[in-house]
Amino acid sequence: MNFLKKASLTLMASAVLLSGPAFAADKPVVGLIMKSLANEFFRDMLEGTKEHAKKNGTYELRAVGMQNETDFQSQINAVENFITQGVDIIVIAPADSRAMVRPLKKAMAAGVVVINFDVSLDAAAKKEQGVELAFIGPDNRDGARLAGEALAKNLGAGGKVVIIEGNPGADNAHERKKGFEDAIKSGGLVLLDSRTAHWETEEANNVFTNMLTANPDIQGVMAANDSMAIGVVKALESAGLAGKIKVVAFDNIPAVGPMLEDGRLLATVDQFGRDMAANSIELALEVLKGAPQLTGWVKTPLKLVVSDK
Amino acid sequence: MNTSNLQLNNTDAARHFSFKATVRDAGIGLALIGLIIIFSVSSEHFLAANNITNILTQITINLILAVGMTFVILIAGIDLSVGSVLAFAAVIAGKAITMPGLDPIAVIALAVMAAVLAGLVCGLLNGLISAYWGLPSFIITLGMLNIARGGALHISEAQTIYSFPKLFNDFGSATVLGVPVVFIVALSMVAIAWFILHKTVFGRMIYGIGNNEEAVRLAGHPVFWYKVAAFSICGLTAGVAAIVYMARLGISSPIAGIGFELNAIAAVIIGGTSLMGGRGSVFGTLLGACIIGVLANGLILIGLNDFLRQMITGLVIIIAVVLDYYRDKYTKN
Repeated sequence: MNFLKKASLTLMASAVLLSGPAFAADKPVVGLIMKSLANEFFRDMLEGTKEHAKKNGTYELRAVGMQNETDFQSQINAVENFITQGVDIIVIAPADSRAMVRPLKKAMAAGVVVINFDVSLDAAAKKEQGVELAFIGPDNRDGARLAGEALAKNLGAGGKVVIIEGNPGADNAHERKKGFEDAIKSGGLVLLDSRTAHWETEEANNVFTNMLTANPDIQGVMAANDSMAIGVVKALESAGLAGKIKVVAFDNIPAVGPMLEDGRLLATVDQFGRDMAANSIELALEVLKGAPQLTGWVKTPLKLVVSDK
Repeated sequence: MNTSNLQLNNTDAARHFSFKATVRDAGIGLALIGLIIIFSVSSEHFLAANNITNILTQITINLILAVGMTFVILIAGIDLSVGSVLAFAAVIAGKAITMPGLDPIAVIALAVMAAVLAGLVCGLLNGLISAYWGLPSFIITLGMLNIARGGALHISEAQTIYSFPKLFNDFGSATVLGVPVVFIVALSMVAIAWFILHKTVFGRMIYGIGNNEEAVRLAGHPVFWYKVAAFSICGLTAGVAAIVYMARLGISSPIAGIGFELNAIAAVIIGGTSLMGGRGSVFGTLLGACIIGVLANGLILIGLNDFLRQMITGLVIIIAVVLDYYRDKYTKN
């Protein structure tokens, strides 16, 4: 939290620097390309960014979202439209970490400052196209490890756990599973089973109920997002085991608030999605002003939220 | 001449109906029993009382959707929108049930009415538009799929709605002698659908439209309204399924029900109802939903991994339909 406060202070400071009168007449235009706005995470991010754009006042925001998580065709069109419109900055959460490299290279060639956030572009694809591009985003693996370690601390070595995975093939699902596995290894936990519930509550409820039937000795559950954790908690309630079998998750959506309060959910991870795009835009504006190009991985803050119970 | 043809078809169908349907349903029932035997041998937990309760809970939503889908497929239509309509109805009902300042009974009643009405209106529109212009229901309901999903996301602002009355959530997990109350709701819908399809003129004409729409029209029946009714029933079941979803999970999610339409269609087709319309039964649909539910449960219990589980589910759907082809051929001769 402290880090975040400091970060926002620096952001505010740079906002003041940027809002000189010289820029008032000709504001830089920022094109923000997100993934599915059907996803609570991106929806919240859009709201946060709009708020930021209004408060900051030094840039003009043009935001677009996609139909679904994998609709990279629409993202390619969006990049091309932004190039045509002559935007100064493109901030993008790529729907496909390989396919988006080529259109973004085109944008950079046209003089647009490109910032890649949320999901990293594929390193090999970047190399092949000769593109140098920094990544701004959370370390999903590290976040999942934090949640997993909270569970390991609660259960102690030898605790038996299962993982509920996100969509197979999705980069963040993969990273979060890896992070859970890191915590299982370091905490000496025993992994009984690991299955996908495609990020969805009802499927998680069914899948976990059946996993519990097959493994009645489960002591802990690591769910790759909160929506699935809600389904797991409901299954535990039906089995009379809520609070007894410990659950950790990821995202910190409002709906898990009551579950954290009474201990049905042990912990979740907040990745401050609301501020993620806004933070990226701040960095991009500095580059546009002449600051050196960003390199490597600029990590955004993650915070473990643990139940008091 | 067409009228007499229709009457002939009808008596013909009536005479052979029970015999053929029995053989057909028995065939599907045998497949189900086969699966049950395989899983009870390979997993010690499969036949445990609480696992049976779990399976019944897990097939409830699909069964309710599949009952409505049976009407639409019997008239040779299809409804791709039910999963999205479920989400749309759940979000509207979720807004109703979380309204502050009203007592729990009032908001629950309001939510149930809202969900059923929302489902009914979507189904009604599907029916009116596809029947009035004679357009393929495939494309109209694909449009509705997007309208309802977009509507659900818009109204909920893509947020999960939560904090429902305890009474409502308790209903979702209540059991009577180990049978989930929500499953009893689904079974009653199967019974009502069976009665409508076999004991009413409307039900007989649903089969008639699937077999020979022109003949039903010439016999003086309001084909247009019968079709609209079939789609409306399907929409209504999506509304009921939304209530079950909410009560079971204690939330309304705008991304609920993605892909549910395909599971519902699979249950209907595995249950022996022809995609060409005019042939099938809601009892078969019940068995079809059981097969899908037993597979999903049993394959996890025996520890099969996600990807193989998906492949086997697909394989079983194909085998069931191929077997049905031969059963149909056999019963015709």
